[in-house]
Amino acid sequence: MMIESRDVKKIFNIDKPNQFIALNGISISIPANRLTVLKGPSGSGKTTLLSIIGCMARPTSGRVLLFEREITSLPERFLADIRRKTFGFIFQQFNLIRGITSLENIMVPAYPGGEPISLLKKRAMTLLENFGLGKKADIGIEWLSGGESQRVAIARALMNDPSVIIADEPTAHLDTGLSHEFMDTMQRLKNDGRTIIIASHDPIVFASEYVDGVIEMRDGVVAGPDLQ
Amino acid sequence: MILDPSILALMLGSILVSLMLLYASCFGIQILRNWDISSGSELQLALERKTYLISTLISYAFGFQLLSLFLFIYTADDLCRLFVGAMCEAGTLMVNNYGYPALILKIFNFIASGAWLILNYTDNRAQDYPLTRAKYWLLLIIAPFILYEAIVQCMYFLELHPNVITSCCGALFSTEENGLGSGLASFPIMPMKIIFYSALSALIANGIYFYRAGGKSGYLFFFLGAGMFIVSVEALISFISLYIYELPTHHCPFCILQGEYGHIGYLLYGLLLVGSVSAVGIGALMPFRKKGSLENILPGILRKLTLISMIAYVIFGIIATWQIIFSNLRLESY
Repeated sequence: MMIESRDVKKIFNIDKPNQFIALNGISISIPANRLTVLKGPSGSGKTTLLSIIGCMARPTSGRVLLFEREITSLPERFLADIRRKTFGFIFQQFNLIRGITSLENIMVPAYPGGEPISLLKKRAMTLLENFGLGKKADIGIEWLSGGESQRVAIARALMNDPSVIIADEPTAHLDTGLSHEFMDTMQRLKNDGRTIIIASHDPIVFASEYVDGVIEMRDGVVAGPDLQ
Repeated sequence: MILDPSILALMLGSILVSLMLLYASCFGIQILRNWDISSGSELQLALERKTYLISTLISYAFGFQLLSLFLFIYTADDLCRLFVGAMCEAGTLMVNNYGYPALILKIFNFIASGAWLILNYTDNRAQDYPLTRAKYWLLLIIAPFILYEAIVQCMYFLELHPNVITSCCGALFSTEENGLGSGLASFPIMPMKIIFYSALSALIANGIYFYRAGGKSGYLFFFLGAGMFIVSVEALISFISLYIYELPTHHCPFCILQGEYGHIGYLLYGLLLVGSVSAVGIGALMPFRKKGSLENILPGILRKLTLISMIAYVIFGIIATWQIIFSNLRLESY
């Protein structure tokens, strides 16, 4: 298994009146080179689980294993390295940085690696061209359409050539055509040998023919069968 | 006198360090009782997160501890002008019964704190907290000494009465008198020279071998490095100081701190402390060199420490030899 979670719990505001249990003992396995969807309504814990798997948050208890290597106990400086090299993130709002160009947005995740800027530019340009956005390289992201922004966000997630793509509600702000286009892109990335994990309650995503497994979540627990 | 800025800094600093270490020790006990890296329990994950905060806290506390030795030496040296009979720090420390114990405790704690910082540095390089238990054990051993030092140091400063007539270093480190200082000063010069240069040669030879081959010779380097500190201090009192002062009977280990001698004492003691801390650090790390994740990290750190220790002692040896060769004093008859 590529990613495994063992009895993962995440509790916010522990022992306070507003204590909230976001995850309550999640044990799942996500295989490599597959497209897995975390399905569930808002508040079911999908995003929390994704952020723990993606090393962006730590669980309150439980362990997460990446390629059989335990990662929840790792100090932040090691986690940052794993996060940068292993995971590519696509966010619900895309989280592109306004005021800078598409090309610069794509280069951002690679800056901490310290590669020469000329190499970064070349790689980012190749990615933009792969997504048919070569001519938009020098355009500020505020001038891009929804579909173009989505493709820039995907290109940015691929900048460090990650083995896992994590997408949180990626189609929430897209129309049906763009949502299907997004799933086509994910299928292509899967065929390239990447593992795709998507959190979504959009039927276009979880009912897609490209999906290999669906993990249904509700109220912080795995509600449905793991269909892999 | 207690309102002297450096005294206030030392007392406040040691009180703060003591409080931080008390808190860290309580956490250390919790770590030693409950630490289980294989567990994913809430407590274990909380301990893993908290250990960073505590380690950072202790690192700063021990960082101050290292600096405070030099501040203490400087303060004691500076205060000598206020006491009748005192010519340097030697006299100031003799004003009451707490001076020399405070200095000895500060030197011991300097070396112990340095060893802890090396252990912590190594632990932070590995991914699986291999030295966490060891460094909290060491912390629990060091903490009482730091607390004791804070008390002794406070007592020393609180008991400084300007009407006390103290002894000067000429009397304390005279070969004619009795006592520890005189005993150290009266050690025969030629045998001491032979011991000093033999010990330095043995340390370098063993250091080069350990640097290249690794293995268990690191334990020998630890003993040689720690022993070299004692030998060097004795050599400094016995004969090196004579060449610096260019006086055949002046063995004081403190006058070399003064501006008259270019503050060379700070450099010499600094080198000895760096050399000894690095060697003690090697001794602290040696038992863990075959421990899982440290197997790849530790050889590099041990080599670096060996090099630092050797360089520090060699520079000390070069300065001492330089003083002997270029001093106007000749001690052929000794």
